Order: sequence, then structure tokens, then C-alpha cells
Amino acid sequence: MLLTFERMGALRWILVLWGVLVAAFLLLPVLFIVALSFGSSRWLQFPPPAWTLRWYQELLADPRWLDSILTSFKVAALVTVASVLLGLLAAFGLVRGRFPGREVLRAFFLTPMILPVVVLAVALYALFLRVGLNGTLAGFVIGHLILALPFSIISITGALEGFDKAIEDAAVVCGAHPFEAKLRVTLPALKLGLFGAAVFSFLVSWDEVIVAIFMASPTLQTFPVRIWGVLRQDLSPVIAAASSLLVLLTLVLMAAAALVRRGSRR
Amino acid sequence: MTRPFLDIKGIRKTFGPVVAVEDVTLEVAKGEFLTFLGPSGSGKSTTLYAIAGFQPPTSGEVLLDGRSLLAVPSHKRNIGMVFQRYTLFPHLSVAENVAFPLRVRRRKDAEIDAKVARMLALVRLDGMGGRMPGQLSGGQQQRVALARALAYDPPVLLMDEPLSALDKKLREKIQLEIRRIHKETGVTILYVTHDQEEALRLSDRIAVFNRGRIEQTGTGRDLYENPATGFVAGFIGSSNFLPAEMERGEGDAAAVRLPDGTRLTGVRMHQRLGAGESCALMVRPERLRLETASTGGVPVRIDDVTYLGDSLHFLVQAPWRQQIGVRMPIASGIDAGLTSGTEARLVWPASAGHLFAGAS
Repeated sequence: MLLTFERMGALRWILVLWGVLVAAFLLLPVLFIVALSFGSSRWLQFPPPAWTLRWYQELLADPRWLDSILTSFKVAALVTVASVLLGLLAAFGLVRGRFPGREVLRAFFLTPMILPVVVLAVALYALFLRVGLNGTLAGFVIGHLILALPFSIISITGALEGFDKAIEDAAVVCGAHPFEAKLRVTLPALKLGLFGAAVFSFLVSWDEVIVAIFMASPTLQTFPVRIWGVLRQDLSPVIAAASSLLVLLTLVLMAAAALVRRGSRR
Repeated sequence: MTRPFLDIKGIRKTFGPVVAVEDVTLEVAKGEFLTFLGPSGSGKSTTLYAIAGFQPPTSGEVLLDGRSLLAVPSHKRNIGMVFQRYTLFPHLSVAENVAFPLRVRRRKDAEIDAKVARMLALVRLDGMGGRMPGQLSGGQQQRVALARALAYDPPVLLMDEPLSALDKKLREKIQLEIRRIHKETGVTILYVTHDQEEALRLSDRIAVFNRGRIEQTGTGRDLYENPATGFVAGFIGSSNFLPAEMERGEGDAAAVRLPDGTRLTGVRMHQRLGAGESCALMVRPERLRLETASTGGVPVRIDDVTYLGDSLHFLVQAPWRQQIGVRMPIASGIDAGLTSGTEARLVWPASAGHLFAGAS
């Protein structure tokens, strides 16, 4: 007999409690920071003595904050496009290709996930010093692309492995040039994988801070880098507001991803 | 002799050290329904894929109406194909799936709409054009795939075990549909299957594949009644192979001796065999008879009797400890003494025996 949730008797309440505790452990810091961002205390007093939108006003009135948000967006958008395109090509090579060293290459493509980010950041910094990419948009994009690519490759190879090549072959016999067949049949079938790759790539870049700290210059920095920099000088509730915005955008993206997934399962 | 419509000449295909197709040569007439029948790994699908263009043959040539097909890339061959697996485009509706080959050919919208309607009517799926592939049953999906493959009036339609994923009842129903569609459209069909019943039911002619070669090509009746090799005899219908020793042969008639000493004359010989060679005598179960009164034939003991409605199926044991299947129609009047455990005589007309090389 299977041990189902309904059969557990008193034990199930212990399980429920455990679940609640784990969720609280994960969520409390986030809720805490969101609450502080609306609190009136300049010293991040908790619980907040009164509620206010003042910190959001200050945040949005400061062009340096807006600039950093814009930079983060630009970097994340460029990373997303590049990561999905490269990930797609890599996936075709890894899944369809028949060449020696294919498995090794596949493992190699995932190493940025395992390598300590700070090691990668130092290495990139040293390399970019020579070629003059530190503090440039291209530097940010390349650095984040390295971190985002494994997510793209995992997501798209997964989708491509689940796609029956015979369907593409059928399109070719029907008269479609192999390239047209990929464009009109294979890509639409991979859309969930491509979408997942895009969401993950965007998020990896959007909240990445280590590589970005190394890349940043006083005039060009991403949103998380600015949060970090301001935090070190002065503990202002504006940072709580900025962090809450970061969380909000992440939530919006995750919700959109969930909606797309549900829509296509129909 | 007129030029064959589809001319397959000496196709050979190797994958590294593995020979998938040894040497396949075949001529197909226009409008013919020809089936490649054989066990898996016999090279029938590989030959089909060579014609479709997915796996170019190592050597050989395929001519369609006198022109080489192999020189043409897959998407320009204008050949129809239905696959073993479901290959409808999952993001397109049924109608758009059927329209796909016409869209890539840049046909006009009005023409496409009319053709799609005609094709859906042909496979009896009128009114289903708006459905998505995921909403269809397996049988419906394969019918849409058939409509899609015929939408651009290809001269040749290739079918690679299209019904193998369906259950037996549905399979038989769609086999009838395929026959009807073949008659209505007159398209030349090459059909791959490992199911001999399906091959017999559908085809004008059957090519029996074994180990990368065609063993024999002919109508179902040819193959059943005059098998050229022991493999064909064993693959089509059920058969008994009795070990025998060649005594002498004249023309295509031979005299042989069975292991228990029984001598038979006037046996049909399908391969050249020398005196003293060991060989296999094939007899179909329905050509054998069991008798109690007779003194001729081979003495056997009945091991098992199965009632099959229109016939009785016996398993009998020969003196050389081989089990032989016998099938006797009930209408022919069966001796009531033929029960499990009793002794009887196994007899058959000399012309029912076919002699092949090698005891198998």
C-alpha cells in the first residue's frame, strides 16, 4: 500500500508544519526587505513605525538609479538574444551532431555553472584589461553571456531531444528546404524550450552582481552593482526599495513563464 | 519491354562496417502497390529511406520515369511519405498540416483551400480541419498524414510501417481505407511492413527482404504457393520444415528420404541439390492430413489438439522427435479417433512438399 498524504494521520500535520517552515525560511528575508521599503524609518527600523512611498520617490528621482536600471535592462536584453541564438546553434550541434568528443563538449559548455563565479570574474577582468573591455557594455554582455549560456543550452537541448526528428523529415519530404523546415516546423515546436532559455538568460544577467562589480566603472554600472555600492556607503531604505523592484521584475518574468507554459499545454 | 516507372538498381547501403542493404534491385510499374516485407533489420526501411533521400545509398541508382532520383535533394523529389511515428506538425491545425506542402510550393490560397477540402474528404476526415493534432486519435493522425502526403499529387507514395502503432482492429480498418485510396488516386505505393497478413491484404506484389537482399518478388499467391527459398516459405504463412536427405533429382522433381526411412518421390525442388545432400522439406500445415486407417505416410503420435471453430489444429510428434503442425478443416470430415495421445499416420500429396537446401 502506498503511503499517501491522506493516509498519514497525525503525521501529515507535522509535514504541513515542516512545509510552512521551509517556505517561511525561504520567503521571510524577501518579505522583510519589501516591508522595510515601505517603512517610514530612515534607520530600517522593524516593524516600521509608519508606511510611506518616499523611498520609491527618491529612487525614481535619482538619475543614477535610473541609469543603472536602464544599463541592466540593455545588458540583460542583449544577453538574452545572444544566449538564445548561440544556445540554439549549440543544441543542434550537440543533439544532432555525430562527432567524436560530443559528450566532452557538452560537459564543457556547462562548466560556467560549476566554476566559482569570482574566479571567472577575476579572469575576465584580467583579460579585458588587455583588450580594453572593462567598463563597457560589451564587457558586461560577454561576461553575463558566459554565465547565461549553460542555462540556454540545457533548456534548448532538452526541448530538441524531446522533438522527433521524423517530424522535420516529414516537412522536408513535403517539399520544404531543410532550412525552411527548421524555421517553420522545428522552431515552433521548440518554443517552450526557447522561452525558458530566454527567461533564464535574462534573469541570470539581471541579478548578477559579481562579474558586474568587476566590469563596472563609475559611469557604467548595473542595478545590482549600484545597490551594492550604495549599501557600502550608507544604509538607506532606498536600497530596500531598489531590491523590491528587482524582486518584482523577477516575479513578473516567472509569472509570464508560467502563463506561457500553461497556455501551450492546453 | 517498356521502361519501368520506378527502377531501383543495385542499391547498397553500409553504415561503417555494418551492411544494411546488400544489393536491392527492383522494378515497379506505374500505379502498382508494392510491399517490402521482411523481419526488422532486413533492409526494407533503409531502402525506402534511400528513395526518400534521407539516407543516400552507398552505391546504386534509383530512376523515376527514367530520371535519376538520387541527384535530386530530398525536398525537390516530390515524393509523398507517411512515417511509422506520428509526424503531424504539432503547432498547426489539421487543415494547415495538409496545406503545408502546398504553402511551401507557393500555391494560391483558393487552390490550397479547395485541395485541402478534397484531401480531407478522401481520408474521410471532413470537418476536422480545425482540430489540432493533439486532439486526434492515432488512426486519425495517420490519415491526416496520408492526406498531407497526397496533397501535392506525388507520383510515388512511400509508407514506412504507418499502422504499426495502432491496434489490430483499427489497423484492419485503415488497411481497407488505404486500398480504397490507392484505387481512387492511382498513386504508385511502396509500403514497408513486417506483418505478412498486412502485406497480403494490401499489395499487388510483395518483395520479401532478408539480410539486405530481396529473396523473392511476386504476388501473395506466388509467394505462398511457390516460395523460392526456405526463408520465404517460413516467413509467409505457417510451415513445417522436415529434415530430409536427397536421393536423386530429375528436372525439378526429386526423391528424398525422411529420417525414419520413409521415401518420397515427385517432390518439388526449388534449388539445385545433389544426391546425398541434407535438405529441408517444407509442407504447409493445411496440406497435411492425419489418418487412422491408412498404412502409408509417416507414423506419428498426437500430442495436442486445439479446436479453432472452422478447423482443428494438431501438434504431432514424428519418429525423429520433431513436432509438426497439422490443420484440418472440420468440414472435410475428421476421424473421431484422432485424440490426444493416439497414434496416426501423417500423409500429404507429393506436390504439397517443397524442397529447399539445408536442414532448418
